[in-house]
Amino acid sequence: MDLSSILLFIINKMNGERTLNAGLHLLRGKKSGQTLQDVEYFDLKPLFGIWPKLDEVLYQQTADELINKALITSDEKFCRLTEKGGVEVQHFQLPRFKGWDYRGREKVFFGRIALAVQTISYFRTGSTSFNPIQRDREIQLFVKRLLEGKPLTDPKFGKRISEELKRALVTSGISDRQKYIFANRLTGRGETAKTYDQLASELDSSPSAVYLLFIESLHMLLPVVENPENYPFLNKCAFDIKVHSYLTDSALRTKKLFDQGYSMKDISKTRNLKMSTIEDHIIEMATNDERFPVTHFVSKDTIQAVLSKSEEMGTKRLKLLKNEFQMLSYFELRLILTVNREGDS
Amino acid sequence: MDLQALLKERFGYSHFRPGQEEVIKHVLNKRDCIAILPTGMGKSLCYQLPGYIMPGSVLIISPLVSLMEDQVMQMRKNGEKRVVALNSFLSFTERSRILASLGNYKFIFVSPEMLSHKSFGLHLKKIEIGLIVIDEAHCISQWGFDFRPDYLRIGEFLSSYNSPILALTATADSKVINDITRYLKMNEPIIQRHSLDRPNISYSIIQLNSTLEKTDWIKERILQTTGPGIIYTSSRKRADELAFELQEAGVAIQSYHAGKEQDDRAIIQEQFLNNELEWISATNAFGMGVHKSDIRQVIHEHLPSTIAAYLQEVGRAGRDGRPAAATLLYIPVDERMTSFIIQSDRPDESQLRHYANMLSEGRDPSESAELAGMTDTGKRIVDYYLERHTLDEVLEVMDTLSAEKETELRKMLHLVRSEQCVREMVLSYFGEQCNEKPEACCSICGLEVLEWLTDKSLKKKTNELVSWDERITNLLG
Repeated sequence: MDLSSILLFIINKMNGERTLNAGLHLLRGKKSGQTLQDVEYFDLKPLFGIWPKLDEVLYQQTADELINKALITSDEKFCRLTEKGGVEVQHFQLPRFKGWDYRGREKVFFGRIALAVQTISYFRTGSTSFNPIQRDREIQLFVKRLLEGKPLTDPKFGKRISEELKRALVTSGISDRQKYIFANRLTGRGETAKTYDQLASELDSSPSAVYLLFIESLHMLLPVVENPENYPFLNKCAFDIKVHSYLTDSALRTKKLFDQGYSMKDISKTRNLKMSTIEDHIIEMATNDERFPVTHFVSKDTIQAVLSKSEEMGTKRLKLLKNEFQMLSYFELRLILTVNREGDS
Repeated sequence: MDLQALLKERFGYSHFRPGQEEVIKHVLNKRDCIAILPTGMGKSLCYQLPGYIMPGSVLIISPLVSLMEDQVMQMRKNGEKRVVALNSFLSFTERSRILASLGNYKFIFVSPEMLSHKSFGLHLKKIEIGLIVIDEAHCISQWGFDFRPDYLRIGEFLSSYNSPILALTATADSKVINDITRYLKMNEPIIQRHSLDRPNISYSIIQLNSTLEKTDWIKERILQTTGPGIIYTSSRKRADELAFELQEAGVAIQSYHAGKEQDDRAIIQEQFLNNELEWISATNAFGMGVHKSDIRQVIHEHLPSTIAAYLQEVGRAGRDGRPAAATLLYIPVDERMTSFIIQSDRPDESQLRHYANMLSEGRDPSESAELAGMTDTGKRIVDYYLERHTLDEVLEVMDTLSAEKETELRKMLHLVRSEQCVREMVLSYFGEQCNEKPEACCSICGLEVLEWLTDKSLKKKTNELVSWDERITNLLG
């Protein structure tokens, strides 16, 4: 797995109905109405936000390579797989990310482990002063509380953490290569971690592939440690990592008003936000809540009509659907397409 | 009060370092003071020692949280437990707990943004403050990546206190000193200056004709001379490029810049400290808070935008007092490059109006800045001034700032081109005279072959590759 296979996978899912850039927004976890909607439409939740700092240049280069290899075609508007690309994508093993659940927070999880491991590594060898490998103050304070009062100098303590960590890595089902990367992202006394570049050259791979393997391994490790009895230490490190609410903060505020019975117009006025922003929030709410009362906005019959037309035409493109349903607004159409997934499942 | 005795008793030193005693005396006489001392010359002693004599607490405003934590850790390590760091990273309960017992602490470190917290101001009013210290005070007048508008607000905060103010900085020319005095609203401060000259550093300025020549020069230099060293570049891309070229040639080097993943940055810094890396190629993002005393070389492969910035970066070499070499490579187009970078942070009139319009429509500030095409730095600057001035005034301020930046760049260019002794020029820029030149002074005065430089005895630390579970065992047992 590397960035180009992930990209191929996304373009395949997006079915020739989105621009190349939609993939970039998805991987970066952009919280705009359009991206959040795409995630739902095209069943791409696992890949949402797996690379928040993805460099645009790297993304473009990767796409250009795919174009040069004639695996994809891309014009100003849309990007799709070629026949060759379609064959190629069948060979890939599905990546096991859970981007929608963790949204970049998996790095906080790892940061806590890394700092705790470093601390223990120094204390157990009799040294209490070191440069914390995690600069993030929140992580530092978390680890400080986590290790407070623990027998850091006792060799048995370090051994227990060591065993727990090894057991979790094995149980998670990650590859040996991923275990190697994970272990080499840890720092301790006399053992500094390695950068993605350095690991890439050791493993004869690319930095982006190493990065993705690492993130995937965290996404596979996190569900394993949900059991506090088997993994007391790692379970604590995973505290508050999985998202509670799948809504953005702003959408959450809109939801509060909506639940109190405010109309969309009222919310727009009260919050001093444009109507289109409120519409985005409503879509976001519908995406994340199966029980969202879509029928407050459009009738059951209309929903059915749009969905069957969409299926008949084999498209989810709003513009084409709008031609068929002039009386519906874009907002209503978007909302209807959001319900689609229930039709699927 | 016998300062010498206190020095011995509290810190275990028999002598003050140059400049320290004078500063301490000014502070004890309740005079405002700007102390300009080179980094690594014991700036913190200048407020710690008076703290033991003066009644009340010492409030230290420090720009970088990591730096602050570092100082607090050092003080605790030396046995001072009545020290605390307050910053916005503390949890609400933790902060409340500290605030409630603020008077119990002798040394209170705060980040600038804490000053605008109302509750902090209220609690501070209740206790006695003997001395207020502003660390890294040059940040006040810098318009660059570490521009801190919060720092500019310190003056407004301080105006309600009568305690003497001590501003500490490693580099300050007359403009910076004026800015510090003005923004901190200092009362006829005494300027205590210790020579910024670093006799153990030799300067070379080398003119070349192309970027390619620079690359070749650096390659040859690094293969033949000793590290540890830092190469400063103007862009992330160039830092990466050089690292790649040199890695190919077998050099233990990594690039460092703000575009790297945060964890990777910390790892690279740690590897450099542990001598697992011999070289770092970096943008100006690298350096603050890096405590490595045995850096032997600093190479600038671009033109720094001010002499102050140049000196600060050069000053990271040779902190251990042993000889070190500073080299600046220069090609004619560098001037335009640096000028372009300076101006790119500066929002133009249409951007500014566009941004202000969007804000008045109640749109999200970050989004508006992005839409207006402003850089992060540009946004920070504009936000600060927009809070206080009308749009037209802000436009004027932008013009002034940008003219000042150009002037600074002219001075830097003059240093590079004038063919006069580099040491003399640098010192005169800071209003100092060069009384004594070391033997290895600069390329203008003439540099013999530096023997220490070609001594490649530094042993690179290489760790053997081990399996994943072995590595975890090595770490944790």
